[in-house]
Amino acid sequence: MRTYFNDLPKTALGASYWIFAVYLVLPLALMMAMSFKDANFIAFPIGNWTLSWYGKVVQDKQFLEASLYSIGIALATTVSATIIGVWIALLVSAENIWGKAVIFALACLPAVVPGLINAISMRIFIRAVDIPTGTFAIILAHTVHAVPFVVIMVLTRLRSMPANLVDAARDLGADPFIAFLRVTIPYLMPALFGGMIFCVLTSIDDFVRTFFLGGYQPTLPMLIFAKVQGGMSPEINAMATIVLVVTTAVGVYAEHITRRSRS
Amino acid sequence: MQPVVHFKNVNKSYGALTAVDDLDLAIAPGQFVTLLGPSGCGKSTTLRMLGGFDSPTTGEIYLEGKPISHLPPNKRNVNIVFQDYALFPHLTVGRNIAFGLELKGMGSAAIHRRVGELLALVSLEDHAERMPAQLSGGQRQRVALMRALAPDPNVLLLDEPLSALDAKLRQQMQIELKSIQKKTGKTFIFVTHDQEEALTMSDVIVVMNKGRIEQMGGPDELYARPRSRFVANFIGQSNFLEGTVASVSDGIAAVEWRGNLVRADVNGTSPIPGDHVTVALRPEAVFCLSRKPEDRPSLKARIDQRVFKGAHTSLTVMLDNGSALVAQIDPVALSHIEGDDVWVGWRDSDAVLLAK
Repeated sequence: MRTYFNDLPKTALGASYWIFAVYLVLPLALMMAMSFKDANFIAFPIGNWTLSWYGKVVQDKQFLEASLYSIGIALATTVSATIIGVWIALLVSAENIWGKAVIFALACLPAVVPGLINAISMRIFIRAVDIPTGTFAIILAHTVHAVPFVVIMVLTRLRSMPANLVDAARDLGADPFIAFLRVTIPYLMPALFGGMIFCVLTSIDDFVRTFFLGGYQPTLPMLIFAKVQGGMSPEINAMATIVLVVTTAVGVYAEHITRRSRS
Repeated sequence: MQPVVHFKNVNKSYGALTAVDDLDLAIAPGQFVTLLGPSGCGKSTTLRMLGGFDSPTTGEIYLEGKPISHLPPNKRNVNIVFQDYALFPHLTVGRNIAFGLELKGMGSAAIHRRVGELLALVSLEDHAERMPAQLSGGQRQRVALMRALAPDPNVLLLDEPLSALDAKLRQQMQIELKSIQKKTGKTFIFVTHDQEEALTMSDVIVVMNKGRIEQMGGPDELYARPRSRFVANFIGQSNFLEGTVASVSDGIAAVEWRGNLVRADVNGTSPIPGDHVTVALRPEAVFCLSRKPEDRPSLKARIDQRVFKGAHTSLTVMLDNGSALVAQIDPVALSHIEGDDVWVGWRDSDAVLLAK
């Protein structure tokens, strides 16, 4: 009896975790299952199974174009957010910089401002400075959103970096730039890699900012949203499943690489 | 001979804190010089100023006769071995050592040869492809040393590089460091707070305290002839006898110490009768005998504590005048225990007057 009571909290925790896990996975599993249904509406039972929806999706010109467009935006976002993020992280970690706390707070602000507010303010801003809606504006918004995550990841890594490493490089004949290139950057690599994967995933996933700042060309989330308005069909499930599988693979791979390079 | 390193009236202060106070230090080439002192004595700051990571507030540092205070670290022909080694974690052992050579623009064949030579010097030839994380502490230490030696610096700086190693390995590395210094003939400037390291390896020890040089000289000289209470206490152990000078003749002072007249070497000072002085006396210079010796002065004492230390035994004896003395004796020669009476004394030249 005693052990039963002692173990009760543990058992309860374990059980509630599994309930949570099921809640987490079940909708995804359902969505994936429906993508194999041989009918053009979504309902149980599934009945006949088919791969035809996937065949349709991969031949869908709209889907392919939106995918490429999303990937392009994600890459541009990643490059610009990484450069800006590393720069801010270095600034914040440097000695003798005035207003470090302010710089850091400002850089992190976009991570806590609600996406909708961010999107609306960006829309007003680009209007004011005459930037047209479209690709550039989307990249701008995605970059602002991704920078804080790069800053935090790089800063965490920088703080674990022994100060003597750069001193050693300088001592052995490297000027500040060479020391940065040959010692700091390689040391930051795991954080940079993690940050970049994060940039890609948030950019591809983003809907609100893209919706407010985009032009006529749809990104993947916008395309799926448009299709959903026309009614759910297993085709959308197939699209979503492809996106889910690809992004999960990227995330797992990134986690694996980061973990390996840390040990 | 022109000194290879010369600090001329160098001061370094951080705000109100003075780290190095009017340092004047000339170091002859090819020597193993140790800057010894407690933490905060300015020894590391001195080293960092020479390496180029700090600049003097006033004064100038000369390397082979040329002023270098304004030069960045990469423009100075000195290299440093850091306390935590600071090996580049993403580069192999070989690439770590090659780092300075690559920046010098040396060809890859020449680099390969030089790295091989250096690794052979510390018997790590087959470790060139390993990563620093795969090395033991002692191996990392050796790689850091070779990396710093690779660009052929005039002066090698070592910032407490042995402090992270365990005692056995530390002793082994002391001998190895000294032998590498002899083999390469380079000037080594070694910073430590460990007097044993300093005594083992150095040609010259510079004892620093509160940003100033307390005393500078060979290990044997510093040990046998400390000039100040600080040095006598920091290097080895000492008994301190405070008294008044009664008379001085032939470099030996007779000191009135708590009712007894004891004799000590004047040790370069010029005391006059009536001066208040401190006499330093090493425990191993104190003899303890069971009977009063006829041929030399001695004092009666009672053993207060007897502590076995392995190679020797440490005795704390209480003199009739109420003072305690620590003596280090051969445990076989004297078997007396606590409470027994003994006669203690020392040779006149083994006790020294301190200047301050």
